[in-house]
Amino acid sequence: MKIVSLAALAAALFVSGSLAANATDRGGVMTYGRYADSMFLDPVLNDANVDIWVLSNIYDTLLLPTDDGQDVQAGLATDWKVSDDGMTVTLKLRKDIKFSDGSPILPSDVVWSLKRAATPDNGIWGFLVSAIKDITGSDDGTIVISLNRPDPSIIPALTVFNTAIMPEKLFEAAPGATDAEKAKAFAEHPVGSGPFMFDSWERGSTMKLVKNPYYWALGDDGKPLPYLDGVTFEVIPDDATRILKLQSGDLDGAEFIPYARVAELKTADNLNMELFPSTKIVYLSMNVRPQVDGADNPLSNPKVRQALNYATNKDAIIQIVTMGVGSPMKSFMSSATPLNSGTGPLFPYDLEKAKALMAEAGYPDGFSTSLLVLAGNQDDLSIGTAVQQMWAAIGVKLELKQVDNATRTDLYRNGHFFMQTSTWTDDIADPSEITSYFAYSPTIESQHSGWKSDEADKLFEQSQSERDPAKRAAEYARIQELHNTDGPLVFLYESPYPVALNKKVNGFIQIPLGNNIFRAASLTK
Amino acid sequence: MSLYFLRRLLQLIPTFAFILLVVFVLVRLLPGDPVSAILGVHAKDADVARIKHDLGLDQPIPVQFLFFLKSVAIGDLGTSIQLKLPVVSLIAQRLPVTVMLTVMAALMAVLMAVPLAFIAALRRDGAADSTIRGAFQVGLSMPVFYLGLILLTVFGARLGWFPVGGYGEGFIDHVYHLFLPAFSLALSLAAILMRNLRASIIGVVDAEYVVFARSKGIAPLIILVRHVLRSALISTVALFGLSVGTLLGGAVITETVFAIPGAGRLMIDSIYGRDYPVVQGMTMALAVVVSLTFFLTDMVEAWLDPRVAR
Repeated sequence: MKIVSLAALAAALFVSGSLAANATDRGGVMTYGRYADSMFLDPVLNDANVDIWVLSNIYDTLLLPTDDGQDVQAGLATDWKVSDDGMTVTLKLRKDIKFSDGSPILPSDVVWSLKRAATPDNGIWGFLVSAIKDITGSDDGTIVISLNRPDPSIIPALTVFNTAIMPEKLFEAAPGATDAEKAKAFAEHPVGSGPFMFDSWERGSTMKLVKNPYYWALGDDGKPLPYLDGVTFEVIPDDATRILKLQSGDLDGAEFIPYARVAELKTADNLNMELFPSTKIVYLSMNVRPQVDGADNPLSNPKVRQALNYATNKDAIIQIVTMGVGSPMKSFMSSATPLNSGTGPLFPYDLEKAKALMAEAGYPDGFSTSLLVLAGNQDDLSIGTAVQQMWAAIGVKLELKQVDNATRTDLYRNGHFFMQTSTWTDDIADPSEITSYFAYSPTIESQHSGWKSDEADKLFEQSQSERDPAKRAAEYARIQELHNTDGPLVFLYESPYPVALNKKVNGFIQIPLGNNIFRAASLTK
Repeated sequence: MSLYFLRRLLQLIPTFAFILLVVFVLVRLLPGDPVSAILGVHAKDADVARIKHDLGLDQPIPVQFLFFLKSVAIGDLGTSIQLKLPVVSLIAQRLPVTVMLTVMAALMAVLMAVPLAFIAALRRDGAADSTIRGAFQVGLSMPVFYLGLILLTVFGARLGWFPVGGYGEGFIDHVYHLFLPAFSLALSLAAILMRNLRASIIGVVDAEYVVFARSKGIAPLIILVRHVLRSALISTVALFGLSVGTLLGGAVITETVFAIPGAGRLMIDSIYGRDYPVVQGMTMALAVVVSLTFFLTDMVEAWLDPRVAR
């Protein structure tokens, strides 16, 4: 008898033990250290990553990006379908969905929000939904989006922050005469339907989000997400201080860990040093116009550009700048971008080939040129000094010009530059955004470089209304081939998002597009 | 004295007007503009042009200045381009933080400098003097940035006596959070004040009127406070006033290391972002703080040495 009861006790312990291991702990507030504060929490009118990367916690979209950032999953809409002619998207809204103030999300809110996002000249993101002609919603929760052309990126576009669904009545009731004025007032205390709702914001210091009791998604225990009671963002611009606060337990997570500290934090007992896959690429962009500020520009010769690429030891730069955390680029778009057609590292280091190309281009003894780097930015400086030394081997004398960001942007946008260090992160799980900026000259002259390929331009225009996925992939493969071969970039590396988390944090991710997703995050008790 | 007070007060008006004009023009002469700064290198020309137009930044600078003067006249300093908040409310949020940090640092500096200067001066060239001067020399030569990180690591993270950065909630909590940053700011100021005051005391302590007072049999403490300190302080007070500007400058770095949401950090972000309205408004606000400090130290100087007011 005694033995039996002991066995029962053991079984009971085992069951409760395994339950504890499976069910996610609920409750607690996760404190997350950010390098900079948000600026403007309007999904349509914002313009910076500091806003974009936290917006989805407050505002929900019809569809959501998958965790790998490559595909879409259900959001406020449960079903979505593109018509055979590619001209209509029909979605079905989830039943009984509410904003965080408890008011129902009506089809009219959806229509209003998408129209606001698609209004030309409303913010800078309208191009992502420029194919939208009209939107209608019926009371049974059917949303019909009619397009002015077939748009292969319309489905991923419905996961992007600017198509977030906002409460029309509350927004329109905000003080102000214009949409921009109302947005300023509304964004001071935003209301959406994301997993969290806005609670308070001490600018430059702390932003508090609390659990949205009306969020639709369920956790692994069958109760509504999120697991956390709230998320508190603390703004700590200094890297060393941010890490110190994480180590002392004041923070549960900290973003933008400098690469130099990654190895050290990997060995810390109480921390998980995460390197989330990203769409971030780091490269040098070259001005390829024949003349720059009245001087002849050797970079206008494709052979010179190839020579510089071959003379750049990418692996060495990855070691020097990212302490081995980065990886070489296989195409101008990141490996995490859909339809990347790269097969291996571009321009593997080959000094002899570089010298031969320089001679062919008519510069056997090299030339002098310059690179704009961001003053005070350690990564930029390391990259600059590294390529300066590497290119000396083919006779290229590189002057590093250190300027602040606004100055650099001004020089760059107006074509007063030879080269500059640059980074890019995708905002949408689709290759169209980066390609329109990098390879399609009408957008911004291929990154303001002056590079233009008629073939790439034509292919991109075709791909924008291509309904056959295989054909679209082929078009993208050819655009990448053209741009990767003689385009205006010196390819450096792709790098992940380095985030350090306390070991008790589970389920937090930063997806490749950069969004910090707290909806399934939890704290182990 | 009251006439002097009035004259000094009136002098502030043209000073402010001049600062306003200079800042307005200078910030616009910097390369770049707020719109391209915020939209970044990938922005489209049409977007930049449209937003510039909406903000009135496509107008000639004199026209912009007239619009600016018109709004200033009705107490409107404009709206932050980056943060979309009225500049007045930004100043109200951020300036008190920096002022509190600076006042705490100034108080700490004075509380350290005055007694130690006396000890050093009265035990001239003795062990105490050398120790005090040596210790402050170290404080003076250590960069605020580095000192701040050391203090944070030792007294914040390791010992847990103080919070690791941040500003806290409520007055007492603010003082607690600002203790380490204020101390790291105060150390170099204390060193400068201490050296200056020590030298002045040494100069005064053997002056004929002090020797005379001593020979009259006046109590040593009264001599020290009424005769030595009063005249020795004059140059130190002037130096203190001048140092407040430096303290505010140091606050920018301290605020970054200690993650304090003050005016200094906002100012740096705004200059990098070419957020013209914030740079203008904040410069004005800081100019008022500095001018008021000068004004107050002038008044103290005039009280210590009535010849100043003549």
